[in-house]
Amino acid sequence: MPRNTVGPRPDQSWAQDYYQPASPAGTWPAPTAAPPAAAPPTAAQPAGKTTAGHQTQRRTAKSRVDEWMDVDFKFGGSRIKRKAVALVLLGLPAPVPLFFMLPALLTLNSNTFAVSVDDTLGTGAEVCLFLCLLVTPMVTLTGQHWFVPLRRWYGIMMAASSIGDAVAASITDDFAGGVFGRVAGHVFELMGFFMVMLVIPIVCTSNPWAQRKLGKYWKRFQRLTYVVWGLLACHLMLLEGFGFESGNNGSGFAGDGDAVFHQRFYQYSACSLFLLTLRLPPVRRWIADRQKEGRMWLVWVTVAPIFAVFVLGFVFILNEQIFKGIDSFTNNPSNE
Amino acid sequence: MTTDAYPGAGRPGITAGGLIITAVSCLSTLLLIAAFVYAVGIGQRHTTALAAADCEPNLSPSGQQCTTQPMMAAEYKAMLVPSSQQLTTDAAAYAANEGDHLAVAEAALTAEVAAERALGRSLAAFPFPPAIAPIAKGLIQANQARAALTAEQARSSSLTKLRSLNHQVQLADAAVASEMKLVAAAVDAPLPGA
Repeated sequence: MPRNTVGPRPDQSWAQDYYQPASPAGTWPAPTAAPPAAAPPTAAQPAGKTTAGHQTQRRTAKSRVDEWMDVDFKFGGSRIKRKAVALVLLGLPAPVPLFFMLPALLTLNSNTFAVSVDDTLGTGAEVCLFLCLLVTPMVTLTGQHWFVPLRRWYGIMMAASSIGDAVAASITDDFAGGVFGRVAGHVFELMGFFMVMLVIPIVCTSNPWAQRKLGKYWKRFQRLTYVVWGLLACHLMLLEGFGFESGNNGSGFAGDGDAVFHQRFYQYSACSLFLLTLRLPPVRRWIADRQKEGRMWLVWVTVAPIFAVFVLGFVFILNEQIFKGIDSFTNNPSNE
Repeated sequence: MTTDAYPGAGRPGITAGGLIITAVSCLSTLLLIAAFVYAVGIGQRHTTALAAADCEPNLSPSGQQCTTQPMMAAEYKAMLVPSSQQLTTDAAAYAANEGDHLAVAEAALTAEVAAERALGRSLAAFPFPPAIAPIAKGLIQANQARAALTAEQARSSSLTKLRSLNHQVQLADAAVASEMKLVAAAVDAPLPGA
């Protein structure tokens, strides 16, 4: 299975090997990566598809950080890789949206579910999707691979949050039309419904067995994640439109004065600009060329504003997640 | 930034990747500048919006800077409903046993005292805005008086003595209900069960 879809330019083989786009699709990680903490450094590499020479090239091209992350340290009588600790710490926030809804689930608080499950789990799914999609651009930029297993983890957590959101909405929403009306009674809901319907097969095939069975089609199938990404744009667009109200969007109250930053579609667009640009094959070639020339500073200078826009959008999504999540956790759901 | 040496061509060229990333980078820079300019005006918009939304300060459990009248009313109601239900249950248990089971009736009254004191603590902790605080203080005092009377009733040594305090407790209940109506009207929240 080819590991690069950047393009046919023959002069770039070194750069392609060096950068090792973790997955050409940039979708969820290769199923050979088990839990993040236990994944081997070459987890994203499909078994039996690489030559010894290629592996040698990879070893020589391994970044210093990757090597540092591969080093063991002693902890409580056993040896643990630094990478394992880093992956666990970075992966810990992913289930937090589900954790926020746990008290409401344990107490069967239908009010909390009806009022804020879509904000808590829906936003959580969005956060996990963006983190999942962030892995490939970060590999492209840094040349490091130790965090690649996080892609699968975030993808699974995104699926869990979105499915939980849909199930809760199907039970507790007050739209007419029965279960189907509650999950697909409005066009924006229909988009969300399609997303969940796509996420289910994607997450079900995100394992080694499915990869073996699907063969060359597995990667194409996993690329459906991009459709989910696009449907999320439609979902948010239909939810809040292109404009913004006088502050009644997102987690902020009407009086917070920064309605634009709370507009969900703007947040989505700000994040997607970085994620999409760094996926474009010409851009990846350009970055590879600059690195080959030893002019990474140029890449950083150019990418910095795009990344800053991503951070700006992502911070406000997290803001929404934290405030709505805490309100849900305390069973004081906010319907702002 | 966008020049690139194609192998074999021997001359610098402009790549599509360079053009794209430069354009997106410039767009991002403009967006950041616009965001900064917008952020500078947040404070003024916030103040204007607070006034327009008729907000009360710092009552939200999530620490937001603004709580509206409906939000405060909902929080007040959420605090009142469980206490009210508990008191109703205890009062029913007392009414069922005041005639023939002294121990059970006293137990019901003891539970009622606990519920009344818990309600008093909740009311004292509730962040009533300054305009409502004096009215709320009246409710807290009325509730304290009722709790003291109920406690005295719970200590009765006979059924006759127990029932003799019923009228005073009913008056205290009526005083609390009256104060509750005033507070509820002030926070614009209907009384539980109303």
